Amino acid sequence: MAIINDFNYHKPKDIDDTLILLSDLKEKAKILAGGTDLIVHLKEEIVKTENVIDIKGITKLNKIEVSEDNVFLGAGVTFTEIIESAELKEKLPVLWQASEKVASVGVRNRATVVGNICSAVPSLDSAPALLVYDAEILVQSKTSKRTISIHDWFTGPKKTILKPDELVLGINIPIFQHTGVYEKLGRYKGEDLAQAGIGICVDSNKNYRFAYCAVGPIPKRMKKLEEFLKGKDISDELLGEAAKLIPSEISPITDIRSSAEYRTHMMKVMFKRGLQKSVALLKGDRS
Amino acid sequence: MKKITLRLNGELRNVYVEPEEILLDVLRDKLGTKSPKCGCDRGDCGACAVLLNGRSVRSCLVLAIETDGQEIVTVEGISKDGLSKVQNTMLDKNAFQCGFCAPGMIISTTELLDKNPHPNLEEIKEALSGNLCRCTGYLPILESVQEATEEGHHE
Amino acid sequence: MNNLKHVGKPSVRIDGKEKISGATRYTDDLEFGPNLHFAAIVESTEAHAKIISIDTTEAENFPGVVGVFTGKDFPFKFGLYMKDRFIFAMDTVHYVGQQIAAVVARDIKTAKQAAKLVKVEYEQLPAIFDQMEALKDDALLIHPELGEYEHVPWFFPQAKTNIAHWRKVRRGDTIKGFEDADYILEDTYTVPRYAHCPLETHVAVGLCDLSGRLTIWASSQSPHTQRNLFAESLAPLGFTHKDVRVIAPPIGGGFGGKAGVSMEILAAAIATKVRGNPIKVIWSREQEFYNTSQRLGVIAMLKIGVKNDGTFTAINHRLYWDTGASAEYGANVVNAVGLSAIGPYRFHNVSIDSVCLYTNLPPCGAYRGFGYSEFMFGLESHINRIADHLNIDAVEIRKINAIKENDILAYGVEMNPNGLIECIDKVAKEIEWGKEAKSDDPNIKVGKGFSLIWKAPAMPPNASSAAFLKFSEDGSINILVSGMDMGQGYLTVMAQIAAEILSVPITKIRTENPDTDRNPYEWQTVASHVTWSCGNAVQKAAIDAREQIFDVVSRTLYLPKEMLFLEDEKVKCKTKPSFELPLKDFVINGIMAEDSTFKGGPIMGHGIFMPEFASANSDPETSQGGHPNVHYTVGAAAITLEVDKDSGEMHVKKAVEAIDVGKAINPSLVKGQITGGLLQGLATVLYEDMRFDDKGKMLNPNFTDYKIPTAKDVPDEIVPIIVEVPQPDGPFGARGVGEHTMIPAAPMIANAVNDALGVRIKSMPITKEKVALANLNKEEK
Repeated sequence: MAIINDFNYHKPKDIDDTLILLSDLKEKAKILAGGTDLIVHLKEEIVKTENVIDIKGITKLNKIEVSEDNVFLGAGVTFTEIIESAELKEKLPVLWQASEKVASVGVRNRATVVGNICSAVPSLDSAPALLVYDAEILVQSKTSKRTISIHDWFTGPKKTILKPDELVLGINIPIFQHTGVYEKLGRYKGEDLAQAGIGICVDSNKNYRFAYCAVGPIPKRMKKLEEFLKGKDISDELLGEAAKLIPSEISPITDIRSSAEYRTHMMKVMFKRGLQKSVALLKGDRS
Repeated sequence: MKKITLRLNGELRNVYVEPEEILLDVLRDKLGTKSPKCGCDRGDCGACAVLLNGRSVRSCLVLAIETDGQEIVTVEGISKDGLSKVQNTMLDKNAFQCGFCAPGMIISTTELLDKNPHPNLEEIKEALSGNLCRCTGYLPILESVQEATEEGHHE
Repeated sequence: MNNLKHVGKPSVRIDGKEKISGATRYTDDLEFGPNLHFAAIVESTEAHAKIISIDTTEAENFPGVVGVFTGKDFPFKFGLYMKDRFIFAMDTVHYVGQQIAAVVARDIKTAKQAAKLVKVEYEQLPAIFDQMEALKDDALLIHPELGEYEHVPWFFPQAKTNIAHWRKVRRGDTIKGFEDADYILEDTYTVPRYAHCPLETHVAVGLCDLSGRLTIWASSQSPHTQRNLFAESLAPLGFTHKDVRVIAPPIGGGFGGKAGVSMEILAAAIATKVRGNPIKVIWSREQEFYNTSQRLGVIAMLKIGVKNDGTFTAINHRLYWDTGASAEYGANVVNAVGLSAIGPYRFHNVSIDSVCLYTNLPPCGAYRGFGYSEFMFGLESHINRIADHLNIDAVEIRKINAIKENDILAYGVEMNPNGLIECIDKVAKEIEWGKEAKSDDPNIKVGKGFSLIWKAPAMPPNASSAAFLKFSEDGSINILVSGMDMGQGYLTVMAQIAAEILSVPITKIRTENPDTDRNPYEWQTVASHVTWSCGNAVQKAAIDAREQIFDVVSRTLYLPKEMLFLEDEKVKCKTKPSFELPLKDFVINGIMAEDSTFKGGPIMGHGIFMPEFASANSDPETSQGGHPNVHYTVGAAAITLEVDKDSGEMHVKKAVEAIDVGKAINPSLVKGQITGGLLQGLATVLYEDMRFDDKGKMLNPNFTDYKIPTAKDVPDEIVPIIVEVPQPDGPFGARGVGEHTMIPAAPMIANAVNDALGVRIKSMPITKEKVALANLNKEEK
């Protein structure tokens, strides 16, 4: 049904045209990629805008580029495109698993990773992966170009550091040898927003990385956990000890989806199970 | 108003739209294609699913103007020259009850079978998990897809 | 019965091809031309308040607005069983979302923009959101004029309270019964509200033409009842039934939510103000959640006495229901449960109080199961606990007490023939009851849960069905009835019944969707009763047509009437094997006699069915003396459940459900009801979780946060078992099954979780979170 507020629609052919538009319109424009967030917000009048800029016509932004040490995901790359890439499944398993767990096929065919991080909802599935991968976001305006670390990207629930005249070009993710998982808490097997999420990766030098979503105002790495486990072999006992650190790393809320108590409990469960899986995968690779 | 041109079920169609008009509404109200339904208006239920350039999308979350120059297929197009094997199996097994979710289910099934002609049960569930059904409990629909694809060819 | 050709076959539904090809036209798919108007509804933001003023000036002056209408335009009460509702709020609002005004324009965008400009001034009143609060002596009265409301004679509203209805059932001597008990268990079970969630939201289009003829197209389960309510409530404007026509196109799911009247009356009323123009009111998914009807919430206090050998001695069941701001439909749920809250068990000493309470939450009404899912959750959980305590097997204790034919029901009438024991035995066998199930995964615990099923149609004693049946020149048949196929397959079943009598294949039979001008009366498609009631009417209509066929053949062709029979669409004669007259040769044009004149003419049958033995009149203090329920359908069900002890996640590996349907006219459709109903039942216990804030506003009116299952959430296996102990007065022995299949889900889960983890949860929903935390707390003790 209807969006009751009018707006102008622009479909620039290339990045330069887009940047000119953005420098003119700034807050008076919204970028439209997949639309799975923006259109809902326009319908429910959570967002009102005078201009919508559709970037799907810019071919440069629709690319996945894999080199020896880096993956570039353009701003128009959808979750389906990530899932269909065998290369990304191999090289970025945590992001690949997160992509599979976003909503359902019809949404994944349109929703973009960049759109996901721009929405900055605390429960966004792609964040834990990008955080454990130390991803960097490439951003450009008419007058400047910059790289923003994912660790600086989120400034609050639904808030990012992106300026109104800036366009996200894509995300750079350094490649390294590792195994990992993304564990997500939903209310059932069907699609759901995460009530808790943890991205885990381990490498053969016993370095562990953890990042969460949905259990704090912004997604973050879990440094205490990483410090505690660094260099150690994983055992049930160690996992039990490590899990005790989790409540101090997160700050979940109680809302209609879940209680803080259950989210904390499940972070411990997902941490243990996820880490065991990741380590098992690592051993599997080496044998 | 802007004039857009899209290929709908194989036929080139011209239609005038305002930027804020939703694809689902334009398909139903201006282009006479009634099979996609509005179940929730937020992309949660899949009743509005159509194939856009071969991919299933929630037409309630697409602006009509975004589809200028693109290709859309709905169940009317799929059923035009006779029912597909999957549709016939669904019919024989009484897979649907009220039928409201059926167009969306058929769109998702068509997309699945175009890429993966012999999916296993998990793959079928994943492909259809974005289509809510309140009547059937899903099992007869899943069984129909399994049966239609086990026997060999998907048409 | 064993050489049936059409009844008992898993025929393909006659509306299947339409649905599969996308050809079905639901109400919102219909075209109404360039004069179609739209209404945007202004809703109350307060749960309980006096309306001080409604300022519609700005909205009325908004360009493109055709009119703005409020309560004062239609100050008429309406209601199905009790008249306690207005079309738009009058001087008081009773729930968040209640309709206050309608803004009408030629396009929905204008209507919505203008609706924002309507200003309502409220004076807040204290609001009640809990039925136990509503019950208190000093509680604020939500309907102070309750004592003056018109209602059916078998409701007992208590004036000057919030009690809309109180059904009291007393039989035997419960005091003695509890004294005789070796063990008594008493506890409270809580079930919250639920939403129907049909995929198609409510929609209605009204057109009052310039001659004063009012037509309403609505997504509806009850076209005739709706017409009745529209005519009654709009009578002050000069309308009678003759002036009102309701057309009911195919619907995208009902589940009880499209029974009676909810928002459809808005289209009817507004149409009278914009004469000559069709006007559409369509609900968004949000409105579908909080502004149609919901399933009543209940707090049930249950006390059962039992002997050491497992025999029940007495039951005291007090159920306090939250029916929301209106009881016009919800009070009948309360009534139905009051009469049946003993469950499918033999109890000689019965005391039931089923109390219907107003609150300032959305009105509640009919929902598949009509109160039985709600009370069976507590009852079937309670029985398991009793069995545990006495060290008797949970299935065994049910068999000991299972109600048999001719046992006396709570209200003094004998129980109908039924296959309850057969259902129990078959389910127990299929689920391998008694054999422990294990998982290889150390995190998974497995449990089994069992529950019985029963329900009777809850209908007024004079709810009737009628059918017309006519032939066409090709020998095909049109059946005109006013029941609704909401997916259950009713159109097909009616065709199968007619097919059997008239020997015409169902591929040559059309069952038409209702139009109150053309199709004869059907009370409503609810209560799982139309297969039985309308099936009887269709059977009679077919027999009537057959009589006419035999009559004209016999008198024109001089054949003995009693020797005639129908086979393969032809009239044949037992004493003259060479005789064959195709139906299509004469069912319109008559038979030519020897003198070249024609005898007969169009063959048309009619049939009606009304249960002339039913009576709602009984002693208000005991409910003895009437015959309110026509019969019960019974069954049994069980599940094998895997529970993750850390996350609480539950997965149904196998579900088995047996229902005694009397006669499965179409076994494929019965299985469809079992699969679909079971999943809907599992959804209410495992996932659906309706939340309100402390001001009465629903917090999760969308599928993002009110979760209904997806294809990934299905059990691994569902085994449907059809049992057939004929219903003596049913068509081919059939009785209903549509609602029953949901009923055992919640108690099975509660019982299986207890079996797996030793944790007993007495409130719904039983989500994975609840299970995980309950298990954690148990381990910490």
